[in-house]
Amino acid sequence: MPPNWPVAIRCPSSFDTMAMKGIDEQTYYEILEISPGATSKEIQKAYEHARETFHADSLAVYSLFSPQEIQEIRGAIEEAYRVLMDESLRKSYDQSHDQILGQQQRSEMPPEIAVPLREKKASPVSAEGSVHTGDEIYRGKTLRQIRERMSIDLETIAQETRISLKTLEFIEGEDLEKLPPLVYLRGFLKGYAQSLALDAHKVVEDYLRFLNEEKKRSS
Amino acid sequence: MVQKVQSTQSKDSKTIWTIGGGKGGSGKSFITANMGICLSKFGSRVILVDADLGGANLHTFLGLPPPVFTLSDFIKKRVKNLHEVLIPTEVPNLLLLTGAQDLLNAMDSKNVQKRKLLRSIQHLEGDYLLVDLGGGNSISVLDFFLMSDGGILVVTPEPTSIENTYRFLKSAFYRRLRHSVSSQAVKGLIDNAMDQKSEMAIHNPHELVKAAKRVNEEEARKIEIEVETFQPNLILNQVRSRKDIEIGFSIRSACQKYFGIRLHYLGYVVYDQDVGYSIRRRRPLVLENAHSRAAQCVSEIASKLASRHQMSFQF
Repeated sequence: MPPNWPVAIRCPSSFDTMAMKGIDEQTYYEILEISPGATSKEIQKAYEHARETFHADSLAVYSLFSPQEIQEIRGAIEEAYRVLMDESLRKSYDQSHDQILGQQQRSEMPPEIAVPLREKKASPVSAEGSVHTGDEIYRGKTLRQIRERMSIDLETIAQETRISLKTLEFIEGEDLEKLPPLVYLRGFLKGYAQSLALDAHKVVEDYLRFLNEEKKRSS
Repeated sequence: MVQKVQSTQSKDSKTIWTIGGGKGGSGKSFITANMGICLSKFGSRVILVDADLGGANLHTFLGLPPPVFTLSDFIKKRVKNLHEVLIPTEVPNLLLLTGAQDLLNAMDSKNVQKRKLLRSIQHLEGDYLLVDLGGGNSISVLDFFLMSDGGILVVTPEPTSIENTYRFLKSAFYRRLRHSVSSQAVKGLIDNAMDQKSEMAIHNPHELVKAAKRVNEEEARKIEIEVETFQPNLILNQVRSRKDIEIGFSIRSACQKYFGIRLHYLGYVVYDQDVGYSIRRRRPLVLENAHSRAAQCVSEIASKLASRHQMSFQF
């Protein structure tokens, strides 16, 4: 088995109590299958999973849902992510759904996946900031947006991944001249993606494709 | 009439796992045989039941010749006791019972004698009964699948296999709901939900509950309870990449969004050429090559089932 394959099935979600509700009746937490106490890292992970599940090419949904239903669910996923990843929007959403979220929290199953908690730091994030959407590719700019949305500073990523701060800045800044050689860059991108709970394979693939296109364009 | 979990609550607390769904060739018999061996090796008494009408060859996966004794010998009274038609295997505590047609007929029948047969099977001594249902979709197969509150679906990460699994799951799901209600009006709504070409606007389980609530609030609640307690299991077989593994999570999420059910993703088995070699040699993989990647995956799933069994005797 390849070394990076999961040795045991770990569920990307810990929220299992939505019962029989239409997508328009579900809370944002139910839509992303997370608990109302989810950290930003858990939200990001759940969003990645939901986006993948309801992707246009997904094998898991086309024979169960109509194209219109898939479209509707995808819209709901994007909206849930946009609100929950924004500290102030999430706060006001939680306040307006206080009662129902309280019930959900109580009936929540024990998490099947242990994600280390990373405390959110008080850095205000603009509600108007663009959200990483399903069709966008991972490039430096996108990674920075996701990181900022999760209120994680670059120093923390550097400490966690042991990648130098300068290298991370070059990656985010898409500084083609200063990026490390490809063989190292792959590893750095993978480490960075994992620290943000992103799909490492897709991040590396997207970033390198973006890099190639940029190189072609400049030459 | 669907026999519910009384079987799992019999005096010796036997756990019944039914392995079905998907399509032929998704690896149900391979997984049933090898999982049974693993459970036996963990110290449990296991009976494997071959109920695959389309291709009853569980014996081949166990390295046994075509069985001489089957259930029909018991039915036709050629043997006195049911345990006389149980075939021993090379693994201690692992027995095989064959006779798919007789078994499924019994499921389908109101005949007292045949119902007695089912009861006899349920009273066989053992900790686990693993029933290989094959890829069929008939009423008796569905009822057997529903006999335990959660059967196991074996799926490969291919569109055809996933499509067939959803088709099977839908049939089992609605059949279960239909048995839970007594109102003819609500039964009619369930039939409409199953018929995608119906003129009524019930396209999914959620719309069904809404419609049922308008007709009979109490019956609608029964449906909701059935949905909450219906928790089938999923094994993804022949996975070749990490992306394939993730399809299992996606199926789980899709089922939650569509049916409102909690599908347990038990695990995956990697694509491994050793599986083909072991089948050709008619030797169970977990005995022939226990260190192969696929054998390790099966063993891991079996240990999960075993620990769940210890945690809760009621399946």
